[in-house]
Amino acid sequence: MSRGTPLTFELDDDDLKLFLEEAEEQLELLDTALVELEGEPDPELLQRIFRAAHTLKGSSATIGHRKMASLTHAMETVLDAVRQNRLAPDREVVDALLSALDALRVLAEEVVTRVDSGLDPTPLERVLLDLLEDDGAEEEAPPAAAAGPSEAESAAPADATAAAESSDSGTEDAGGQPSVYLRVRIDPQCQLPGIRCFQVLQELDTQGKVVSLTPPREVVEAGGAEFTLEARLVTTANEEQLRTALQSIPDVSVEFGQSASEPAAESPAPAEPEQKPRLALVKNERETKPQQTKAQPARKTQGSQSVRIDVERLDGLMNLVGELVIDRTRLQQIKDALADVLKDAHLTELTENLEETTSHLARITDELQQEIMRSRMLPVRSVLTRLPRVVRDVAAKCGKKVELVTAGEETELDRSVIEELSDPLVHILRNAVDHGIESPEERRAAGKPETGTVTVTAWNQETYIYLSIKDDGRGIDTKKLRKKVVERGLVSPEAAEAASEEQVLRYIFLPGLSTAETVSDVSGRGVGMDIVRTNIERLNGHVTVHSTPGQGSEFIIQLPLTLATTKALMVVANGTVYAIPLVSVTEALAASTADIQRVGGRQMLRLRGKLLPVADLAEALGDRRERTHDGPRFVVAARHGEREVAFLVDRLLGEQDVVVKTLGDLLGTRKGLTGATILGDGTLGLIIDTPSLVSEHAATLAIA
Amino acid sequence: MSTRNDAQEAPQAAKEEHVVVFRLGDEYYALDIQTVQEIVRMQAITAIPGTDDWVEGITNLRGRVVPVIDLRKRCGIPAREHTGETRIVVVTSEQGMVGLIVDAVSEVLRIPGELIEPPSAIVTAPENGYIRGIAKLEQRLVSLMDLEGVLPSEDHEMYSAESEVQAA
Repeated sequence: MSRGTPLTFELDDDDLKLFLEEAEEQLELLDTALVELEGEPDPELLQRIFRAAHTLKGSSATIGHRKMASLTHAMETVLDAVRQNRLAPDREVVDALLSALDALRVLAEEVVTRVDSGLDPTPLERVLLDLLEDDGAEEEAPPAAAAGPSEAESAAPADATAAAESSDSGTEDAGGQPSVYLRVRIDPQCQLPGIRCFQVLQELDTQGKVVSLTPPREVVEAGGAEFTLEARLVTTANEEQLRTALQSIPDVSVEFGQSASEPAAESPAPAEPEQKPRLALVKNERETKPQQTKAQPARKTQGSQSVRIDVERLDGLMNLVGELVIDRTRLQQIKDALADVLKDAHLTELTENLEETTSHLARITDELQQEIMRSRMLPVRSVLTRLPRVVRDVAAKCGKKVELVTAGEETELDRSVIEELSDPLVHILRNAVDHGIESPEERRAAGKPETGTVTVTAWNQETYIYLSIKDDGRGIDTKKLRKKVVERGLVSPEAAEAASEEQVLRYIFLPGLSTAETVSDVSGRGVGMDIVRTNIERLNGHVTVHSTPGQGSEFIIQLPLTLATTKALMVVANGTVYAIPLVSVTEALAASTADIQRVGGRQMLRLRGKLLPVADLAEALGDRRERTHDGPRFVVAARHGEREVAFLVDRLLGEQDVVVKTLGDLLGTRKGLTGATILGDGTLGLIIDTPSLVSEHAATLAIA
Repeated sequence: MSTRNDAQEAPQAAKEEHVVVFRLGDEYYALDIQTVQEIVRMQAITAIPGTDDWVEGITNLRGRVVPVIDLRKRCGIPAREHTGETRIVVVTSEQGMVGLIVDAVSEVLRIPGELIEPPSAIVTAPENGYIRGIAKLEQRLVSLMDLEGVLPSEDHEMYSAESEVQAA
């Protein structure tokens, strides 16, 4: 087990994808659920957790990932003990399980990299198994063969609703005991029937004793079973319980009966009346896979039908629609040009038809674009599920008691934004627990409940999504903050003195600041909030803070719903069309009416009581071509953080939703530009990176 | 110089090349056909401020933003007006799709290996690191271009120093 050794698994690329997606789902579920486990767990939660571990064990065993199967086996054994009330899920137990979960993540990665990560789960397994003291369940040696758990494992066969007792001695013995015959069918659309059969067998093993099995156990455990499985089971569970247990495995349907076993021939699964159609995962269309039918299969998730689609496919669709939009505009222009000609030739009917069709096309295209955009949206839930774990870890490290409440998980936003949201959110949350919430003693002294609360709420408004992180802690000490920024030389004493409470709160975002007495390794050395704000603003968002001393603080992150498009102010500067993201624009006015003066050798604009440095946009971007514009110019004031700059441009074209396209690898990161966009006439406009331009041209004044 | 010496110095014969031949100024060049996506007429190109001379800008190729390089300027050949024959050769490189402006595209050829001489046999200037061979055809010489060599690499500064505007 050495790091870097290549590994092989028994699966091809399609199976790999399937395995990873399933594994990811189970791991995420476990992450959230395990945190909830501490304290008074409810049986349903336990069942879900157990099931997730069980499934992971099954799939990892089937693909031949011994380390992962072995670790999940240990977890499952512990969880089983918890489920049967033989072990209380205290902090120690949950900690061990969470560590195991982290290890599982690393091990799951090995399936992708096909290289040994060097992680040895044995110590973790020992920790887990030590928790069990000495109760009835025997822990067998981790599965030695790639084919799954050994026959001799004596699983505690309690099922969900009844404590059935039966021991698995590994030998066939139906003598005189009630047995059930059942036939299990796997959905023919399922990509990995072998895994499903394996899971079925595992479930059966926990429900009772399997006395006969077709195909034989060795075949099933090696993942070689196909779409039908028959078994005779000695069990005290009734049909209903068995059905419920088995049919919670995807793609499975069960029949009970007394008929003699038939040859395990493939036959289409009969539609179970109480079961909605379950289908397997979508994957990329390959011409070589004949069983891939036109109807995209869907997986049932939490009561709703959904389809998994590759992001690339959605991006491809977006591109196509983008082009459609451009052609639609062109068509309208052509129609307009033709209108006169047609009228002169008295072809009114033709004109009307053309008019109607182009209008209709326009409407459909707009709707299509909306729908595609919406299909890229995901509920923010996926970001929020990380949080309980973060809070738990940080609270533990700091010796605080904190409870996390979330709301608005179903709020949707584009997946491009979701990915970017995670880090800032986690950072602010850590700050809230570390600095915001007081220690239990302090809270008691202040008459607050010992356990602090952090509430994370998400909602949307217009084209933005808002996330509020609110804590009921000690609030931000503005007096201390005022002193600190002067001490650090970040703000002049006069400015700090004169600043309002609101302005002082914003000092939190200054680089090089940390108000913690001791720098805990949790929130870092005060570089955090500065980076958080920069990153959010880079996404055309904002972050604001409110606070009441003694009562708590609230951070609100505002982000556009999608990064794929952005609302921009279109301008022309020296012949090139630029798009300035509207979120940073504070004002646009004619240069002639603007109050521009020369101050200390620089052009400055007096606006709303402030002095903004003035810069020529084309020059600021490095455009060295000859200036061709003759005539009135305009000023666009743009803001980044506390700084504002006034840019001179030649023309204002108006506001527009622009689709953001990257400049590509060759040109790399452009100074002052974040990308390009396709204009109505098919040519390209350039999208301005306001934060970098403003930072560069703003005079270094103290925060006003 | 005896031919035997040449034969000893020359490395083993090159293999056959399947190329697209184009003209820059009065000279012929060629690119491996595998790298060529398509050839389009000159179309609107948006200049990117602050980039080197030979970076013409970006253009819209069926919804994709593709950077365009003026090969003549890149290779140091004196500039000329674009004519009706000017084309953009769209290629796939390690850094994505790129458009190369050429004076004309003449043909697609299969050049047998024996006709190809390695560049070391010819005196070349150091900046011609992008020529990987010269094909001696009946009526002319065709310089075989190495795409990755002619494109700017990662450490190459795409943006001239003058574009750094000083804040007052």
